Amino acid sequence: MMNNYLLFRLGERLFGVRMQGAIEIMPWRRARPVPLAYSYVEGVMDYRGAIHPVFHLAQLAGLSTPGPIGFTAPDQEAPKGKSIILLQEGNQPFGVTVDMVVKMSRLEDPEGNAPEVKGINPQLVRGVRFDDDQEIIILSFERLFHAG
Amino acid sequence: MEETTRYLILSLEGESFAIPITSLLEITVPRNLQKDAKLSEIFEGKYEYRGKLIPVINLKKVLKVGGGPGGSLIVIKSSKGVLGLLVDTAKELLEAKQQPAPLPRGIVNPSMRYYAGVLRNREDLVLLLNEDGLLP
Repeated sequence: MMNNYLLFRLGERLFGVRMQGAIEIMPWRRARPVPLAYSYVEGVMDYRGAIHPVFHLAQLAGLSTPGPIGFTAPDQEAPKGKSIILLQEGNQPFGVTVDMVVKMSRLEDPEGNAPEVKGINPQLVRGVRFDDDQEIIILSFERLFHAG
Repeated sequence: MEETTRYLILSLEGESFAIPITSLLEITVPRNLQKDAKLSEIFEGKYEYRGKLIPVINLKKVLKVGGGPGGSLIVIKSSKGVLGLLVDTAKELLEAKQQPAPLPRGIVNPSMRYYAGVLRNREDLVLLLNEDGLLP
């Protein structure tokens, strides 16, 4: 089945999430850090009166090494293009930071078991698709909140 | 009339945390702390409060924030007894009309009991501490 996907970059790699779960895209802003949070948590942010967790997607996906325990949110200015994508999984809204939002694309939904993608946390990978000969790793966050 | 709840806002390395004012007993400076080698690393010693020695914990060590032990001592009561918290500063009182929001799922280990929720203070988000979960 075809669906709309939001494509974005983390480092050199291209990723996609289904638009159905995407609420909003906003320029990166510093989240309020939470000491002793998981290493992939940037913090929490207030968005339209609700408190949302913000995840550092590169760390969550396994693309970068974890920071020190404690305050983990970067304090510096955001690099150009860095964004927060607000998503929803079940009833749980959350934000993920990405290096750059690329475009929306209509892709065939992944089917069957997710393939292993070298260097990417397998819990997030839903499948792989291609757009203009570029590999797109389709992510799913349905297992993100199981531990919490 | 809207009901408000009051909190003490305290600072650790520039970030704001809160405790309910109903738990607050005293704000003072950390003087004459009695060292006790038997206490674990998070304890800075004992403080005499109304004739009794109470444990004093360095909140920055508990939360692994880094930095020095802080220049203010906040004495609070908890379900585990009276204890002192070393913090950088006691900043202000917050009168909140809203209940604290729960900390979102999936960001801390569920067994960790240091936080009771999130408060809004103007543009800031303030982490509400669970005074009953701070002592080991």
